Amino acid sequence: MTVTSLMTADELYHLPNDGTRYELVRGELRKKMSPTGIAHGRIAARIIGSLMAHLEIHPIGEVYSNDVGFRVARNPDSVLAPDVAFVRKERVVDSTKFFEGAPDLAIEVVSPRDSYSDVEEKAADWLRAGARAVIIVDPTRKSARIDRASATSNVAEAISVDELLPGWRLPLAKLFA
Amino acid sequence: MPPTCPEHGDVAMLIAYSLHGHVKQHRLGKVYINDVGFWIERNPDTVRGPDITFVRAERATRSRKFFEGPPDLAIEVVSPNDRYTEVEEKADDLLRAGAQAVIVVDPNRRTVRIHRPNETVNVADALVVDDVVPGWRLPLSEIFEE
Repeated sequence: MTVTSLMTADELYHLPNDGTRYELVRGELRKKMSPTGIAHGRIAARIIGSLMAHLEIHPIGEVYSNDVGFRVARNPDSVLAPDVAFVRKERVVDSTKFFEGAPDLAIEVVSPRDSYSDVEEKAADWLRAGARAVIIVDPTRKSARIDRASATSNVAEAISVDELLPGWRLPLAKLFA
Repeated sequence: MPPTCPEHGDVAMLIAYSLHGHVKQHRLGKVYINDVGFWIERNPDTVRGPDITFVRAERATRSRKFFEGPPDLAIEVVSPNDRYTEVEEKADDLLRAGAQAVIVVDPNRRTVRIHRPNETVNVADALVVDDVVPGWRLPLSEIFEE
């Protein structure tokens, strides 16, 4: 019988910096695909840019770029890092550690190599952890969808999450231009 | 593409068996398995072979070439290595070509999702697509039980 010991979020945080990015899923270390492809980075940057422009006018929260760790479960610990995250002002903390809990909005940009199950599991994990909405962006297909606890909706023309970011709109044509 | 795994085959079998029984009993059309090719685009050509398909009686055939046009219903059972983009793209292609619904089954996460041109629905309890296969109902527990 093999006994695998589970890693804690604290241990993840103190892992030596070997250049590899990790996530922690129910106590097990998982490598993130790193570095990513050009399209992935371009799309993620545009999303962040769009959100930052909006938040400059409507300062209702913060946007985080990739690899901020969100501790979404304890015992065993899970720490996930979305490509882009938005956290409402009321929940923002200033810290060098992981964020305790899920972001209000998690955005994942899909890479061609990502498996279907992994993408779906990630989206479900975010919702289960308390994210109000998860946006899955697929640059290859120039499409996006928004998952909420209630339903999944395919973005027709522009990405918007009015319940979290009233007035923010990112047209797909602009995002994938 | 290499052969797939027992889980994929088992889940696909359970679905096809249920669907076929209902379709045959009510003479609704034909259920095809084993990746029958559907020629859904021309110049350049696209032929897609979903795991399980249903074609209404009026359109069903037993030809020895690819089926010309889309299936009415396509069902894909996801294998562990299937890429997200590829699965979604296949569903997009079939819907754009005229399939009324594309069902994506993920045995790994025990989820079922129905894609239609205008909406995507996550199945909670039982698989029902009354607009394409009236009266058919397959509880998820029957698909995902070991």
